Amino acid sequence: MTELLTWVFAALFVLVIIAWYLSYTAARLDRLHVRLGGTLAALDARLVRRAEAAVELAHSGLLDGATSLLLASAAGESLEAPAEHGEAREQAESDLTEALDLTLTPAVVQSLRETPQGQDLVERVTSACTRVQLARRFHNDAVTDVRRVRRKWTIRMFHLAGHTPMPGTVEFDDEMPAPLAS
Amino acid sequence: MRIGIACPYSFDVPGGVQFHVRDLAEHFMGDGHDVSVLAPADSETELPSYVTSAGRATAVRYNGSVARLNFGPVTAAKVGRWLEQGDFDVLHLHEPMTPSVSVLALMAAEGPIVATFHTSMLRSRTMQTAYPLLRPSLEKIAGRIAVSEDARRTVTTHVGGDAVVIPNGVYVDRFADAPRRAEWLGRPSAPTIAFLGRMGEPRKGLPVLAAALPEVLRDVPGLRVLVAGPGDPDEVTEGWPPEVTAACDFLGSVSDADKASLLASVDVYVAPNTGGESFGIILIEAMSAGACVLASDLPAFSRVLDGGGAGAMFANEKPDELARTLVALLRDPRHRLDLATAGQERARLFDWSVVADKIMAVYETVIEGRMASQWEPERRWGRFLPGRAGR
Repeated sequence: MTELLTWVFAALFVLVIIAWYLSYTAARLDRLHVRLGGTLAALDARLVRRAEAAVELAHSGLLDGATSLLLASAAGESLEAPAEHGEAREQAESDLTEALDLTLTPAVVQSLRETPQGQDLVERVTSACTRVQLARRFHNDAVTDVRRVRRKWTIRMFHLAGHTPMPGTVEFDDEMPAPLAS
Repeated sequence: MRIGIACPYSFDVPGGVQFHVRDLAEHFMGDGHDVSVLAPADSETELPSYVTSAGRATAVRYNGSVARLNFGPVTAAKVGRWLEQGDFDVLHLHEPMTPSVSVLALMAAEGPIVATFHTSMLRSRTMQTAYPLLRPSLEKIAGRIAVSEDARRTVTTHVGGDAVVIPNGVYVDRFADAPRRAEWLGRPSAPTIAFLGRMGEPRKGLPVLAAALPEVLRDVPGLRVLVAGPGDPDEVTEGWPPEVTAACDFLGSVSDADKASLLASVDVYVAPNTGGESFGIILIEAMSAGACVLASDLPAFSRVLDGGGAGAMFANEKPDELARTLVALLRDPRHRLDLATAGQERARLFDWSVVADKIMAVYETVIEGRMASQWEPERRWGRFLPGRAGR
């Protein structure tokens, strides 16, 4: 009789440990998914702010007409791109990066810096670009963490991730225009 | 903004990470932020008002050098209390893989967390055994900063993911304005060179310098070597040739003001470090003070010196090459001046005003990410996770 009890308790103990481990792993994954949602939203916000800074620069009247048009249309594409983070969005952001790079040549940056308004705009674009880089890097870090944890066999076997799709890194060109980088 | 900064190394002894933490905290306070620093320190050590002591540190061998760290249940409780009282908007941990207050804070905290990796020399053995313990906690870090490309490589290979490189900062003006001290100034017949750092620690490179000195003294007999840093001269000089010992002045630990004056006064500052330097803030300080720098060609040093454009370099751990380069520099005041001028110019890139802005951008990005996902650990699965001390 006592032997049976011992076995029952031992089995219960093992079950409790397993249950604790599973819920702990689920909690860990949940925390990661929340972090992921946050970094993605932050990246979104940063991208919008960069596009707005670009629009403002285009409308400032400090650039020539053709360049303004080019920059404004690239920024418009970025602002209109669907909230979905798919290839279309990444393409739009890469295009905006390229447009900024073409617009802000060393000579243009120098002439912009001569007026207080231009100086202000240059600073805003610089800061927006830096923050896009940071947000994208932190988001991709979170993606890497999530993907690694989701490869664990416990998570796959017990479907701890539920129906949350496997996240992918966000890839687009976020290089800062060279004259701003110094 | 309320900023909490955790430093794993004791404030009793000077060190790169401690200075980084102190300068960063002071810069942010100057900008009107609320900053609290948690670090180990002895009760006798006088601390700035913004530093909270996590208790007495113990000297431990960790990752290849002796560090003064702080751990144990009492410390863990103190860390928890600090987090609770501070109620920080962002928590900035330095060296989150060193077994001290940073790790404890990482395990206990829940808010937006930024971590700075300083070291480039994590041993893979240490990593393999310690890693599984840390993994779930490291996942809480929302923004990773590395102080150098080498430190970043450590992050990418050992931790996974990536890190933003933001170099160490220096208050360039404090060094640039340092007065020269007559007794440290070199004369053409008796030039002076300086070594800074813990004497007893071989990777700071004093033995390399000592091995090079007999040859240098043959060519420049009047040379004086000013050695500043903690350590026992008698112990260190054991076995050195008598003429080398005679050429050295041991200044002991020097204050920050004296350090700046020393760097501004000497003809050449020598950094013969053999490894384990991920950044080399001391080189930037020397460059800011207008010293001509001669350093070993560690990758980190080479990057700071712009591949040799802002200071001379010699092959690491090669005393004869150090001797040759040093003698050539001592004989060519024109070249020294060129290097020093280029160095002072380059040092501006590492001024705190530039560096702290970048760190603030990281804070803001991380906080924004957290705001966008108001996660409540009390609900859902979160209650199964240990450590919810900080909100």
